[in-house]
Amino acid sequence: MPDMPARKPVLPLISEFAGDPEMAELVESFASDLPSRIDAIIAAIKSQSVTDLKRLAHQLKGSAGGYGFQTLGASACKVEQGLAKSTAPANEAIAAVDKDVRALVDLCYRASLTAPGAAPNRPTW
Amino acid sequence: MNSPDLQLDEQKPTVLVIDDSPDVHRLLKARLKQEEVELVGHTDPRLGLEYARGTPPAVILLDLDMSEMDGFEVLRALKDNPATHHVPVIIVSGMTSMQDKVTAFELGAIDYVVKPFEFTEFRIRLRSALRVNRLLTMLSTRAQLDGLTGLWNRAHFDSRLAEELGRGARSASPISIAMADCDFFKSINDTFGHPAGDSVLQGLAKILRHECRQSDAVCRYGGEEFVILMPETRPADAAAVCERIRVAIENVTWPRHPERKVTTSFGVVGLNAAMEIDAAALVEAADKALYTSKKTGRNKVTVIELDAPVSAPSAVAA
Repeated sequence: MPDMPARKPVLPLISEFAGDPEMAELVESFASDLPSRIDAIIAAIKSQSVTDLKRLAHQLKGSAGGYGFQTLGASACKVEQGLAKSTAPANEAIAAVDKDVRALVDLCYRASLTAPGAAPNRPTW
Repeated sequence: MNSPDLQLDEQKPTVLVIDDSPDVHRLLKARLKQEEVELVGHTDPRLGLEYARGTPPAVILLDLDMSEMDGFEVLRALKDNPATHHVPVIIVSGMTSMQDKVTAFELGAIDYVVKPFEFTEFRIRLRSALRVNRLLTMLSTRAQLDGLTGLWNRAHFDSRLAEELGRGARSASPISIAMADCDFFKSINDTFGHPAGDSVLQGLAKILRHECRQSDAVCRYGGEEFVILMPETRPADAAAVCERIRVAIENVTWPRHPERKVTTSFGVVGLNAAMEIDAAALVEAADKALYTSKKTGRNKVTVIELDAPVSAPSAVAA
C-alpha cells in the first residue's frame, strides 16, 4: 500500500457549492452517503468484481462534479477508463488501477468529512 | 377534444430524466425546482423508454453511458417510435468525444450537455428545448385545423379514428361516427353568394361544436360535409345527438337569408361493442347511411349498427 499519509492531518475536500444555499443540503447528503460508496468500492475489490467497480466509478464520475466535487469526478473517470480499456483477467485489471482506486477512495473519504457529524475511519484494505 | 382553440395546456410540461445514477436525479430535482416543469425520473433506461412511449414528455434528458442499456440505443428507440420521435432529447453525458456528439445529433438529439454541467447554462438549454416542443405541438395542431370553421380537419379525423379503433378494440368499448351533409348547399351558394355559403358552414360548425361533448371530435370532412367521431358512444346514442343537432340547425334563422332554412342530413354508424373493423369500412358505412338519408327525403338521421343482429338501415327521424 503506497503513500497513504497516516500521520499528516487529513484536509476535508470542500465542495465548490459549499456556499450555495440552494445546494447545501444536497451536498451534505451526497457527502454523508460517501462512506457507503467507499464500502462498496472496497467490497468490489475484495470480490474482484470489475463490473461493480466500473459501475461505482461511473456513477461517481457522472455525479460528483454536479455536487461541486470536480476532482473526485475526474478521479472516478480515471478509474473507469482504466477498467474500460482492460481486457485482462479481473485480478490483473483491478491491480492495474490500484493506485487510481486508492486516490479515488481517498478523495471520497476527504469529501465525506464535510458532512455534519462525520467521523468516519480512514478506509484501509 | 371538441374545441381545438381551447388547447391551452394548464399543466406543467413533463421532463423525463433517464440516467442510471440516482445522484444525478437528486441533483436535477434540486436544481430545477424553480422551473415550471414536472420532473419524472428513471434510473432503468428500459423503464424510462416504456414511460416515454406511454406518456410522451415535453423533453427527455438522456444519459449515454448507462450500465443497463446504451443511451444511443435508447435514443434510437425513441426516434423510431411514432409516439416519441418528435420529443426533443437533450443528451446529458460524461462522454466528451466529438464522435459521441456527432452520433447523438445524427440520431436526432436536439442538444448535448457534458457532465458535470454548469446549471445556469443547463437551465437555458432546457428552456430552449421546451420552446421547440411547444412550437412543434402548435404546428401539428395547426396542421390539423380547418381554416374556415376552426374545426378539426380530415387529417385529424383519420388519425383520431385509427387511434380510437385501436383503443376500442383493446377496451371492448362502443364507438360511433356520424357524417353530416348540408342539404342543397350548392343552391345556397348559387342564390346568396359564396360569403353566405361560408357563413352557413361556420354556423353549422358552431352548432355541431355546441351540441357535441368534449370527448367527441367534430371535423370538417370536406366541402359541406362534416364528420363527428364519438368514442364510447353506442350508435343509438350517437343518433340521438345527431337528431338534436338536426333540429337545432333546422330552427336557425340565418341573418343573410332569413327566409331560407338550412337543413342537414346525417348518416350514423357504430359498434355497440368492439370488434375488428378498419377505419375505411366504418367511413364507407357512414357514407351509405348518409346516402340513405339523402335518398329518402333529406333532413333526417339514418343509423346503421354494424354489430346489430339485423343490420338494415333504420331512420330515426323524418
